[in-house]
Amino acid sequence: MSELLVPFAYDYMLKAMFVSALVGGVCAFLSAYLMLKGWSLMGDALGHAVVPGVAGAYLLKVPYATGAFFAGLLAAIGMIVVKQRTRLREDAIIGLVFTSFFAAGLLMASINPTAVNIQTIALGNILGISDEDVWQVVIIAGVSLTILILKWRDLMVVFFNESHARTVGLNPWALKILFFTLLAACTVAALQTVGACLVIAMVVTPGATAYLLTDRFGRLLVLSVAFGATTSFVGAYVSYFLDGATGGVIVTLQTLLFLAAFYFAPKHGRIAARRRAAARAEPAL
Amino acid sequence: MMAIWDYVAEPLSYGFMQRALVAAIFIGAVCSVLSCYLVLKGWALMGDAVSHAVLPGIVIAFVLGLPLAVGAFVAGLLCAVLTGYLKDNSRVKEDTVMGIVFSGMFGFGLVLFTKVETDQHLNHILFGNMLGITASDLVQTGIVAGGTLLAVLAKRRDLLLYCFDPQHARAIGLPVGVIHYALLILLALTIVASLKAVGIILVVAMLVAPGAIAFLLTDRFERMLVIAAVVAIGSSVVGTIVSFHIDGATGPCIVLIQAFVFLLTFFFAPRRGVFAVRGS
Repeated sequence: MSELLVPFAYDYMLKAMFVSALVGGVCAFLSAYLMLKGWSLMGDALGHAVVPGVAGAYLLKVPYATGAFFAGLLAAIGMIVVKQRTRLREDAIIGLVFTSFFAAGLLMASINPTAVNIQTIALGNILGISDEDVWQVVIIAGVSLTILILKWRDLMVVFFNESHARTVGLNPWALKILFFTLLAACTVAALQTVGACLVIAMVVTPGATAYLLTDRFGRLLVLSVAFGATTSFVGAYVSYFLDGATGGVIVTLQTLLFLAAFYFAPKHGRIAARRRAAARAEPAL
Repeated sequence: MMAIWDYVAEPLSYGFMQRALVAAIFIGAVCSVLSCYLVLKGWALMGDAVSHAVLPGIVIAFVLGLPLAVGAFVAGLLCAVLTGYLKDNSRVKEDTVMGIVFSGMFGFGLVLFTKVETDQHLNHILFGNMLGITASDLVQTGIVAGGTLLAVLAKRRDLLLYCFDPQHARAIGLPVGVIHYALLILLALTIVASLKAVGIILVVAMLVAPGAIAFLLTDRFERMLVIAAVVAIGSSVVGTIVSFHIDGATGPCIVLIQAFVFLLTFFFAPRRGVFAVRGS
């Protein structure tokens, strides 16, 4: 029994679990919007595109968040410009831009292997996070969460009923820019917990799981945040016993939760659907 | 002139560079052809998904003592099939389902990897190890890449019709379901062939960039195939040579050369480039 409590005795484990839970919660908040709009690839793209910025920031010894933010912005502008000027499909443009950025980050790391640890950036290393990075993550996630709690209804109206949003005097452009800024910021925070390759799960899976369980957006947000925060907390805890792979554990838990909802959800699950089909097939008395 | 010659010839005097260059040519050729279909069909995310999903397959194949390529292939295909199944049976959008499945498999693969004692380096699987390719790797890559290339070229018209207009393909009696899975299998095989060289994460660049560049330069599919092949093979060879001289990782060098070619095309393509559009 006491063995199970061991992680709570270490400062670095407490730090890892609470920071993971905070980041997981904020990312899950955003996931509710992303998965309903079908923008999953954007989450993946941003996660990869910030990598050269992070590598550059470590080389220049500036806060990693500034570099990441700068690279993310550059990638977003690049995608928009190519989109406007060519007839290429959007998915090809996104794929092209984010892989190029990621490759630039890898090259920088391979030339300076001592200053930049590519595995930390690609796969995260929350168990070994420095105090300075903890502060950056906590500030980013805290500010994002506050803004989301204040603005969630406005964002919902803009994303799912734009003409209504205009009539009630909301500015769709400003809110969309706000949303993507928050997404970029949370991606940067999530790099520390799960790394660039798995950011997509953090900003997609909890929302999709919640979507199978409820039809009301307010509830969807609450469930999604609860799933994101819990899986991240538990994932960090479990990774103590595995001696690493925190990101992998968190994402595996999130996926298992999704699969559970896929089968057992009361209304939208597979089993419920089969039961309904069977009930229909039986002759009425 | 001599300087350029030396720049190219010096790496060729090493055995590992000769093997790397041959691998670069194989991989460039097969990826470029597939990329033309993926770009037209809008399957960039599918390429991304299948390539990430091979990780647990590689680890499990190692545990079972099977060839790693077999595990990778099965896992990649499983990702595509699972995505289809979950999408058809729930109300979640396809891109979301794909993101969930591949990130879940990749995450699970990472967990497995930390628990299994292997002689494989995670960095090599993720980011490729072009300069460490052995002669037997080369034979394996050559067989997979060559077979895939032949299959795609033999069926290129059916595949093209399926990508452009599945309804029409069905109407004239093509087995659309079979073609769909055939294309997925070819995609998975291409990814498996390229893993050793560029790694899981950058394969998708090889599967998008050449087709995208060719698409900006021509309207004819046959020409698109040729241009994509020239770009992909050229960038692979140049990228490998450059990486030798700057002592950087090979996969990223290849991808960045392709990105550079894309930028050149984007600005200077004769009819569709930014400057051409302005000029007319």
